[in-house]
Amino acid sequence: MRAMYLGNYFVAGCIASSFLGWIASLHPIASRAIAFLTAAAFTVWGLCWLLDFSVSSLLKISVSSLQAFLLALLAAGAIGAGVFLCS
Amino acid sequence: MQLKIFVLSGAAVALWLVPLTALDKRIGWHKSMQGLTLCAAIACAVTAGNIAREQAKQNEIEEIKTRAITADVVDEIATSAYISQAQRQQEAEQILNPLEHLERSLALTYDEGERSESIAQNQLAERTENCAENGDSERTERIHQLQAKGWGKAKIILEIWGVTKGGSHKYKAAEADYKRLIEEGG
Repeated sequence: MRAMYLGNYFVAGCIASSFLGWIASLHPIASRAIAFLTAAAFTVWGLCWLLDFSVSSLLKISVSSLQAFLLALLAAGAIGAGVFLCS
Repeated sequence: MQLKIFVLSGAAVALWLVPLTALDKRIGWHKSMQGLTLCAAIACAVTAGNIAREQAKQNEIEEIKTRAITADVVDEIATSAYISQAQRQQEAEQILNPLEHLERSLALTYDEGERSESIAQNQLAERTENCAENGDSERTERIHQLQAKGWGKAKIILEIWGVTKGGSHKYKAAEADYKRLIEEGG
């Protein structure tokens, strides 16, 4: 059941990523806004990856859990964007 | 509940992939439909995730309850086994002759020196004397009971000492014992 809920949240992340792509395709300004958001998200992601020990102690989770979460986030974003771009 | 989770998960995946692949982005209402279905898909996936998380929590609680019940049962069995063992030990100690018990303690304290040995021997002698007195009083009481029933001497000796009338040494000893008890008992 734990895998079930984690999988569902992962799918929700993938769909959210596709939804952001869909919003970006609506208007050039929306596209720029989404690009900016994506860049900011990547920056935050990279900082979290580099400062994993500090962030994990701040969020009160283990380092491995934080790394798993960051990797799942990256994978969900990549899959969602890939599905939207390939469709 | 699991069926609901499966349906919602399947619906989320279907609402995500089918409109994106089947509908044309260049047509206006198709694009709108894609947006709507993506929103619905996100809602379905999040709802399924929430339900699954609740279910997982309940399963964990059930597991904890089961473990607690098992621990209780094991504890109860262990307690009853301990009690029954203690009861058996107590019964065994009650069955053991007190005299034998004292002999055992005497054997255990044999190497401790003369003082302890003499004390134990005194205790043994006292205990033997007490037992003999108890036996005599019981016999006297039994003799009086049988006499009240109208039994004769030979029959009483046969009943209590288990020896038949005659000139045997055992009968003479029993007869002497009988007379002594009668005299002592008044």
